[in-house]
Amino acid sequence: MERNKDCIYEVLEEEETLKQGKLNRRNFIKTSAFLGGSVYLSQLERVFELLNKAEAGILTPDEAYELAKAENILYSVCLQCNTGCGIKAKILDGIVVKIDGNPLSPWTLYPHLPYETSPFDIATLDGALCPKGQAGLQSVYDPYRIRKVLKRAGRRGENKWVTIPFDQAIDEIVNGGYLFKKVKGEENRYVPGLKDLWALRDSEVAKKMDKAVSEILHEKDKNKKKALIEKFKADFKDYLDKMIDPDHPDMGPLNNQMLFVWGRLKDGRKDFITRFMDAFGSTNAHGHTTVCQGSLYFTGKAMSEQWKFDEKDKKVKWTEGKKFYWQGELEHAELVIFVGASPFEGNYGPPFRAPRITDGVVSGRLKYAVIDPRLSKTAGKAWKWIDAKPGTEGAFALAMIRWIIENKRFDSKYLMNANKASAKEDNEPTWTNAVWLVKIEDDKPGAFLRAHEVGFPKEERVQVVKDEEIKYEYERFVVLKDGKPVPVDPYDEKEPVEGDLFVDTEINGMKVKSGMQLLYEEASKKTIEEWAEICGVKPEDIIELSYEFTNHGKRAVADIHRGSSQHTNGFYNNLAWFTLNLLNGNYDYKGGFIQKSEYKPTGEKEGPFNLKQMHPGKTTPFGISIIRHGMKYEDTTLFKSYPAKRPWFPLASDVYQEIIPSLADEYPYPIKAMILYMGTPVYSLPGGGPLIEILSDPNKLPLFVQIDITVGETSMFADYVFPDTTYLERWEFQGSHPSVPYKVQPTRQPVIPPIPEMVKVNGEETPISLEAFILGVAEKLGLPGFGPNGFGEGKPFTHPDHLYIKMVANVAMEGKPVPDADEKEVKLFMKSRRHLPKGVFDPDRWEKSVGSENFKKVIYVLNRGGRFQNYEDAWEGEQVKNKYGALVNMYLEKVVKTKNSMTGKSFKGIASYIPAPADVLGNPIEDKEEGFDLELITYRVIQHTKSRTISNYWLLSIEPENSILINKRDADKLGFKDGEEVKIISKTNPEGTWNLVNGDKKPMVGKLKVIQGIRPGVVAFSLGFGHFAYGARDIVVDEKVVKRDERRDKGIHANAVMRLDPVLKNTPLEDLTGGSVSFYDTRVRLVKA
Amino acid sequence: MPQLQEDANVRMREDVKRALSKPVEERSWVMVIDIEKCIGCHACTISCIAENVSPPGVTYRKVFDIETGEYPDVKRLFMPTNCMHCDNPPCAKAANAIVPGAIEKRPDGIVVLNYKKFRGKKVFEAATIACPYTAFYYDDGSFYTQNTPKLESYETRPSFEYGKKWIRKKGKDEPPIETGRKCHFCLHRLNAGMVPACVTTCTGRAMYFGDLNDPQSLVAELLKNKPSYRVNENLGTKPRVYYLHGTYTEKELKEGCAACHE
Repeated sequence: MERNKDCIYEVLEEEETLKQGKLNRRNFIKTSAFLGGSVYLSQLERVFELLNKAEAGILTPDEAYELAKAENILYSVCLQCNTGCGIKAKILDGIVVKIDGNPLSPWTLYPHLPYETSPFDIATLDGALCPKGQAGLQSVYDPYRIRKVLKRAGRRGENKWVTIPFDQAIDEIVNGGYLFKKVKGEENRYVPGLKDLWALRDSEVAKKMDKAVSEILHEKDKNKKKALIEKFKADFKDYLDKMIDPDHPDMGPLNNQMLFVWGRLKDGRKDFITRFMDAFGSTNAHGHTTVCQGSLYFTGKAMSEQWKFDEKDKKVKWTEGKKFYWQGELEHAELVIFVGASPFEGNYGPPFRAPRITDGVVSGRLKYAVIDPRLSKTAGKAWKWIDAKPGTEGAFALAMIRWIIENKRFDSKYLMNANKASAKEDNEPTWTNAVWLVKIEDDKPGAFLRAHEVGFPKEERVQVVKDEEIKYEYERFVVLKDGKPVPVDPYDEKEPVEGDLFVDTEINGMKVKSGMQLLYEEASKKTIEEWAEICGVKPEDIIELSYEFTNHGKRAVADIHRGSSQHTNGFYNNLAWFTLNLLNGNYDYKGGFIQKSEYKPTGEKEGPFNLKQMHPGKTTPFGISIIRHGMKYEDTTLFKSYPAKRPWFPLASDVYQEIIPSLADEYPYPIKAMILYMGTPVYSLPGGGPLIEILSDPNKLPLFVQIDITVGETSMFADYVFPDTTYLERWEFQGSHPSVPYKVQPTRQPVIPPIPEMVKVNGEETPISLEAFILGVAEKLGLPGFGPNGFGEGKPFTHPDHLYIKMVANVAMEGKPVPDADEKEVKLFMKSRRHLPKGVFDPDRWEKSVGSENFKKVIYVLNRGGRFQNYEDAWEGEQVKNKYGALVNMYLEKVVKTKNSMTGKSFKGIASYIPAPADVLGNPIEDKEEGFDLELITYRVIQHTKSRTISNYWLLSIEPENSILINKRDADKLGFKDGEEVKIISKTNPEGTWNLVNGDKKPMVGKLKVIQGIRPGVVAFSLGFGHFAYGARDIVVDEKVVKRDERRDKGIHANAVMRLDPVLKNTPLEDLTGGSVSFYDTRVRLVKA
Repeated sequence: MPQLQEDANVRMREDVKRALSKPVEERSWVMVIDIEKCIGCHACTISCIAENVSPPGVTYRKVFDIETGEYPDVKRLFMPTNCMHCDNPPCAKAANAIVPGAIEKRPDGIVVLNYKKFRGKKVFEAATIACPYTAFYYDDGSFYTQNTPKLESYETRPSFEYGKKWIRKKGKDEPPIETGRKCHFCLHRLNAGMVPACVTTCTGRAMYFGDLNDPQSLVAELLKNKPSYRVNENLGTKPRVYYLHGTYTEKELKEGCAACHE
């Protein structure tokens, strides 16, 4: 590459000087100044002293091994995947050179050390990390990282860029204009700026509009709805020009046409974005959940809905459902069934889960089975590998349910408990609605029977909301006990109510059944043999698993993940497996099904800084989102008939695959600007072809800004790419996962000087990053909640630290606060950060941000990389200490009362098998009949994370490219040999290529790996290879070519072959209940390349 | 079921500390690998590369991924290997015959290379041919990030092998470039009271390290209580790496070995 001092890449020659032994004081200082003047002189003295001694060969072993010294170690959190292992970053001359596990983090030692352990004591103790964690520094020190803002200088996706100053980029994005007049074809294209989209700015008006829109949505009567719309138009006549469409007030203000989308996002940065969007007043802030395991989250949400008073609606309803899920507690489990989950390779995640499994197996405590079409590393060591057909996970579970019910091997004592009081009597932390009666209307299960429908009085109750007493009617449910109806208040702690398990009767002429009865009816729709036939497994295996699963009390658990979830029937697969765990009554138990537990950085409950409230003048976002989530189609003014133009997602959120196709279809409205952070939908979503087409067209998306560390498969289509800091250069609060029983908050903090350029925002130095972008735009627009009085009068939000250090203080202060750091620890804190520039680490700024009374606690937490509950505090007899502790729904009334927007039919409310794949109208996809007779699945190898580990050259030394796995029987039948190159084609993509629009194509060709350990009829490729950007393609920056690295485009990434929905055409197959995008429902053919 | 008291990493650090308090000739370092617990994650390989600043082509530790059986009765087996630190090292004889002092057997059992002497292809090839365990790698002076926009500093930082600082300088014929390299049980870490880098990062807790002379050590306890074997014991090399084979049958192990060895 030609040398260019102003190039975005750090200059090669300077580095050469530094490391080629021409290291003397003069050019060392020069070089360090180039890197940002980050090395203090005192440290420099020591470096030279040591180097001289080393040359003379007189170092003692202690001196020589600098990575064993506390002052050279900083504790943080990995982000090579989303597991969140604690790390110790070992730093030499300001560079992270080795990463190991933080022994205070439960993820990396089993059991982890007490939180009080001194950081001096753990300097020589390393915890375990996976290979990605070990290689993490290569994601950071990636030669292809960008340091300055890139602006598009060619057509979208042409990969021609110029570097521009940060301030200019912010100015252009905020003010808009003819920004690309130098690009052929865009001479006259006016790009609206964010100032134009920040239309509705009056927070009081926004609040009133939100209320009025809410009334419109709640009004069921057509004419009254119309009248409310007219009233809206009259009431807000001066503001109608700020609405997307005044005739559809529920679309919300023009502000909604600014869209913020993210891939991997954790607390901290999430609060940055949320604050920004709250201030801006756009409802369109969407994550990526449904590309991972969305339906798992939304099954968890539906099962955790509670029948409680809702403050906003002022009535009792199903509410408080949490977007979450449970996982198996593996430390005490005796029998685990992993379904579409491989904890040795992924699944939150190897360092935490693997030792609990291997220890369990070798000690004889644990036996586990794996249901997966591929013999994963986990399956390869399992007691039993069952290669059920992809998409039949729910059928397998229903078969087990049938056998367990018919053989009476379920926890009847647990299931009979109908309310909290009866659960308490049995010392059960949770209870279900399995015995509540459901009304059968038109032969279909509908709503729960209410107590007042069978003659019990309605209860009048009072709720105090913000000092106001609100009277409301509390509707109770009904169980049958010894043939008599008994009313149920689920949360009554005094009157225990138990119910008969299997009820199929009539009360007052109403046909009713219990949830258990409905479950049994679903499960007995097929015989065990028929279910086995559907799954392609042996009936004996179903029976053996069912027997074992019910042979260990509550210490047997089913642990499921993407393999179950990422199908068009994902929601119901998950529901069936979660229901199986209910039959064991193992929720909140050791060796059972548990939830995560975290110290909250946002301080809502007890932190010194309640950050959401510290937001003066924010605009209330309202209106239908671009992905039409959290709202019923029928409630909106857009409702006409079925099918809707595109599906609605009343039971899900963060429906990633819907975002870009929806803006292309302008349904419900067009989008003017999209900001994308740490996400690459083109690479990571199935069926990426249409996304490339849409993003290449500036008329469909006028402004596209991405914040990225390099030019990747999606940012290559952006108008502006802002460089970002990576996980070793930034703040975040990683949170936890349901596999972890301890209460924790792993805290990510900057451990090295930032690689992106330093800039001034609000007059303060900070690296270009997501934060700098947001603070810069906020400063330019004057958004409320930012600037000198951002957190309130005299409380500035002018630097990212002003938020992050407060969040650390909240973590430190929750419950019993952590101790103060002593003097020795304070010194260590300062010394170990000696290489960080002031724009990142400024003890004065940090202390002022939280007050000196909190600062030593902040230091205590940061010296340990977060806060972690001690090992022994997480257990309570046979149960876990950190409990879910509430009603778990077996029957989902809220789901039953919700309609599929494409068919107009109600969703089902009980575990069921729904054949996959199906399109959005529910019609089966029958590509198999057209000769696409292999089923395609994907998987993860432990050394890669989907889109962003190709830069990790050490990992490529394990396997330089991925392969297409195929069973030897299929290979023989098709005449293919091991190592042969083949192309994958499908009905969606008969050419088998990525069409990169600008005449550029990348065929989906990979090498076959012929093995025994995969189900015949199924082929698989692992995610992470087959790149066509991210350093895998030449790009031009400032008229100079940055050459690609051949190692980075090796292997195959066949997402573009995945099946598009035949109705929607520009969207992959998806699960309309749980929101997941389908990964494992595509039928393909292999052809010689 | 006995409750787990402490992580093996914690116990092994204490084992190492105890060993260091004794004279070097009274230590007997061994590595124990439990095949049943190895999940084939390769963390050890990467940790080793990072710890020792190994260039492309140099991996002191490799893990082989082996499939045994036929569909549907298939299993997987993972086989971590490195220098076996033989008590009767054939490599030393072969190499020292060419360059005396190139390979040394320490009193604590570790087979070490003298980077100033173990240089050039000739002595490297002699050792490589003599070694039945594929322990040797040649440092050809390449870098992972050469020919990219930037040679990254993590590749030119000093390594601490053998308690010294080694800086690989691009284009310079100085050790460890143009030098044979292999596992040294992380001698520099041991001297600082730390367990080898491959062992501490083992996610399946399949790997153990310590002083076999110390009956209190975890390795001594494991080898006393569990059946173990060493690779190619019949050659008389007396390796210091022991494998616990758990429930794998002889047939499976043979199938596994056959994947790489004749």
